[in-house]
Amino acid sequence: MPNSAGKRFKPTKYIPVSTAATLLVGSTTLFFVFTCPWLTKVISPAVPLYNGLVFLFVLANFSMATFMDPGIYPRADEDEDKDDDFRAPLYKNVEIKGIQVRMKWCATCHFYRPPRCSHCSVCDNCVEDFDHHCPWVNNCIGRRNYRYFFLFLLSLSVHMVGVFSFGLIFVLHHKEKLGGLHTIVTLVVMGIAGLFFIPVMGLTGFHMVLVARGRTTNEQVTGKFRGGVNPFTKGCCGNVEYVLCSPLAPRYVLDPRTKPHIKIQAPFIRPDLSDKQITIKVSDNGIHSTIINSKSKGSIDGLDSKESQPPLPPKAERYNQLKSQLTSSEGENCSHLTPPHFTPDRHHHQFISAFAPENSAILEEGVRGHDYRSEPNLDLPEYANAPLHRTFQSSPHQLDSDPVNSRSLSLKQGPRRPGKGQLQALPPQTVASTPYKGVFSPNTHSNRNGSLSYDSLLNPSISPASANECIAHRGVPSMGFHSPYLPTKMCHIRETEVHRQQIAQTYSPVMPPRGVGRQSPHFRDREPSPVRYDNLSQTIMASIQERKEMEEREKRQMLHGRSHTHIYAQDSGMFDGGYGLPNNACFSDGPRGPGSRGPTPPAYGGSRDNLIGVGLVSYGQRTPVLRHAGSTLGRAPRTSSTSLHTDHSSTNSSQSRAPGHEGPYRSPAHQPHSPAVARSPSYSHQKLSYISAHERTDSPRLGGPRYES
Amino acid sequence: MWFLTKQFAVRRYFTHCLSALIDLVCGTKRWRTSEFVLASLVFVQTHSLQDLQQPAVSSKVYVQRDYSSGTICKFQTKFPSELESRLDKQQFDETIQTLNNLYAEAEKLGGKSYLEGCLACVTAYTIFLCMETHYEKVLKKIARYIKDQNEKIYAPRGLLLTDPIERGLRVVEVTIFEDRSIGSGR
Repeated sequence: MPNSAGKRFKPTKYIPVSTAATLLVGSTTLFFVFTCPWLTKVISPAVPLYNGLVFLFVLANFSMATFMDPGIYPRADEDEDKDDDFRAPLYKNVEIKGIQVRMKWCATCHFYRPPRCSHCSVCDNCVEDFDHHCPWVNNCIGRRNYRYFFLFLLSLSVHMVGVFSFGLIFVLHHKEKLGGLHTIVTLVVMGIAGLFFIPVMGLTGFHMVLVARGRTTNEQVTGKFRGGVNPFTKGCCGNVEYVLCSPLAPRYVLDPRTKPHIKIQAPFIRPDLSDKQITIKVSDNGIHSTIINSKSKGSIDGLDSKESQPPLPPKAERYNQLKSQLTSSEGENCSHLTPPHFTPDRHHHQFISAFAPENSAILEEGVRGHDYRSEPNLDLPEYANAPLHRTFQSSPHQLDSDPVNSRSLSLKQGPRRPGKGQLQALPPQTVASTPYKGVFSPNTHSNRNGSLSYDSLLNPSISPASANECIAHRGVPSMGFHSPYLPTKMCHIRETEVHRQQIAQTYSPVMPPRGVGRQSPHFRDREPSPVRYDNLSQTIMASIQERKEMEEREKRQMLHGRSHTHIYAQDSGMFDGGYGLPNNACFSDGPRGPGSRGPTPPAYGGSRDNLIGVGLVSYGQRTPVLRHAGSTLGRAPRTSSTSLHTDHSSTNSSQSRAPGHEGPYRSPAHQPHSPAVARSPSYSHQKLSYISAHERTDSPRLGGPRYES
Repeated sequence: MWFLTKQFAVRRYFTHCLSALIDLVCGTKRWRTSEFVLASLVFVQTHSLQDLQQPAVSSKVYVQRDYSSGTICKFQTKFPSELESRLDKQQFDETIQTLNNLYAEAEKLGGKSYLEGCLACVTAYTIFLCMETHYEKVLKKIARYIKDQNEKIYAPRGLLLTDPIERGLRVVEVTIFEDRSIGSGR
C-alpha cells in the first residue's frame, strides 16, 4: 500500500506482538500467583524478588524495543533530491576504512542510504543501522533500540530459565499432587517456557555472536561480509561496548519546532577575490588542465565539482542561434577576432583564468601563433591592458553560457566575420546578464549530475574565438580566476586550436580541430590542408598528453573520497566515450585528448577501460528499466572509442567526418539517456556540431574535422 | 514577518490619515491628488519594505557525510564550489570541523555514557522521562552553535546553515540566497 494512501489499520501485524505480550505477561503472572507463594515459604522470599526484578527488566526492554524509534530517517527534502533523479546512478560507492561500501538509492526516501541503513518494507522507512524487523515487537530494530532488543533477549532467556527451574522445583516437590491446580498451572507455565526456550535461546545466541562480530542481522543474512572484512567492527570488546554502553542516539523524526528566525538581508558580504587564488579547471578535449595557484590548492576540489557542472539547455539555444548565424556568414573571411559584444574584461577572465604552468607551453604557442597572424587581433592589446582582476560578476555571463557562450564567442570571432554585424546583432546584454542568471541556478543544481558529457559536448564546438581571446590574454600575467562554472571547459588548448583555425580562416569555428593540437604558429598561413594540421601536433600533443596524465593522476586521487561527483563524473565519462574526445568533463576519464595521432588512441582506449572498470561498478540507473543500460553503457564506450580511433585515422586522410560515425558514437551513449530528458539538448548540440563539421567540408578547412564534439 | 506586516499596516494607516488630513486642509478637490501622492509614497514604501523581506532562495548546497572513518557522524570538509563566491574556505572549514568535533563528543563512549546506561537500566528506563541524554545535550549545543554561526557569519553573506539533525544527520544544508543588491542574481 503506498504511503500516500495513508496507513491502513492492519490487525494482522499486531498478532505476533499481542501473542508475545500475552504469553509473557500471562505466564509470569501465573507463575507469581501459583508457584511463588510456596517457593517463598519453602526456599526464600528472595525468589519472587529475584524473579520480579528480572521480569521487570524483561518488560522494560520489551517496551523500549517495541515503542522506541529505531532510528528512522525522515524523507529527504525535494530540494535535496533535485539533482538525484533518474539520471543518477543506483549505487554510490563510498570508502570506509579502506573498504568500498555501496550506498543504494532509496526511491521512497529520496536519498542514498547511509552505510548500514536499510529500508524496511513493513514500516516503510529507512532505518539507521537496520538490524531486522521483529514481528514479536512489531517494530524495526535499528541503531537506537538494538541495545534494548538485545537486552530483552538476554533477560527473557534468563527469565525463562528462572521460571522453568523454579517451576521444576515446585513440581518435583508436589509430585503426589499433580492434579492440583497449582501444580497444573505450574506445569503449563513450564510447558510454555520450555516451548519457547529453544527459539529464544537460539536467537539470543545468534545475537550474541552478531554483537561480538559487530554485524547486523541484515548484514549477516545477506552475506555482505562473507569472506570479507567488516569495516564497521571495532574488535570484540569494542563492539560489545558499543552496543551496551554507547549514548542513546537521537531521534531524527522530530516534531516540527520553531526555528530561530535569522534575518538575511542584502547586501551580502563577499570574500575578497583578489586575495583568493582563483583556480579554474579548464578541460579540453580530454585534457584537464587545472590551473592551480599555490595558495588555494583547496579550490581544486571546488573546481572538480564545478567541472562536473553540465551546461544548461538554455545555452544550447544560444549556441544554436549563434551557430546559425555563423553558418549563414560562411565564406567571408574576416580575421577580426574581436567579439563584438564581449568586454575585454570578460575575455580576460575567461581565458587567463586557468593558465597553469603546464599549459603555458601550449599557450605560448598559441600566443605566438596569434602574433603571427596576418591580421592582428586588434582587440588584443586592449585585453592585455585590461585589469587582471575582475569581479566575479563581470565574467559570469560568459562563464555561464559557458559552453554556449564560449562557443558563441568562437562563432562570433570566427574568421568569417561578416557576420560581425550579424553576430553583433545578438544582444550582448542578453548574453551577459540573462544567461548568467538563468544558467546559474539550474547549473548549481545540476552540478551533481555530472552530465559532464553534455558540457564537454558543448565545449568542443566552442569557440575558436574564445581561444583567440585566450591566446590574446596569455601575454598578460595570468591571475587566478575563479569561475563557478567551469565554463571553461573550453580549455584554452582548444582555444589555441581555435586560434589557429581562425588564422587559417576556417569557416566553421564550431568545431575546433581538436586533435590538431594547438599549433597556432603553423596556421598562420591559413592553410586548410589537414596535413599541416597533423604536422603540428607531435610535440604539442606529447606535452598535452603529459599534462593530461598528470591531471588525471591528480584527479584520481581526488576521486577517491568523492562520492557524488565522482560517480557522476564517471557517469558522464561513460557517455562521453560515446562521443569521443571532447568530453573532458569527466576527470576520471583517461586521456581523451585529441588523440589524433598514433600514441593517443591506445592510451585513450586504455584509460577508457579504467574508467569503465571503475565506473561500471557504481553505475546503474535508478530506474530499473535502465538497469541494463548501465551495462550497455559500460560497453558502449569501448566501441565508441574504437570507432573514434578509426575516425581519427580516417579523418586524417579524408577531410570530412562521415556522418555515419555519428551513429556509433551517439547511439551507445544515447540509449540509457533516452529517458533522461535533460540530456537531449546536449545531444542536439552534438548533432549540430557534427553538422557543422560536415558543412565545413565544403570550404577549405584548416584541419580535419576531427573534432568530435 | 509579523514585524514587517505590522509596519506595513502602520504605514498604510498613517498615509490614510495623512491623506485625510490633507483633504481636510486643502479641500475635497485635492483629495484625489493627495491620495494619489500618498498612495505612491505608500507604494514606494511598500516596495522598499518588500526589499527588506527575506530574499529568495537561489540554490541549496548539501555537504555530505564523510564515512571514511565508519558510521560516526562526520561531515566532509570539502568546500563546495557554489560557495566560493560567497564564503572563505577557512570559515567554512572551521564551521564543519567544529561540528564534527561536537558530534564526536556526542557519540563518545566514555564514563558519562556508561553511567547513563547503568542508571537507565536500574530505573527501568524511566530516567529518560526526566533526564536529557548526553547526546541530546550536545545536540542542543550544536543547535546553539549553528544559530550563532548563522547570525555572525552566514547570514551576512546570504547563506543559511540548516541543522543536520533536521535531515537525519545525513547532510548539512547550506541555503544560498539571491543577492539582489548586486544585480547579477547570483
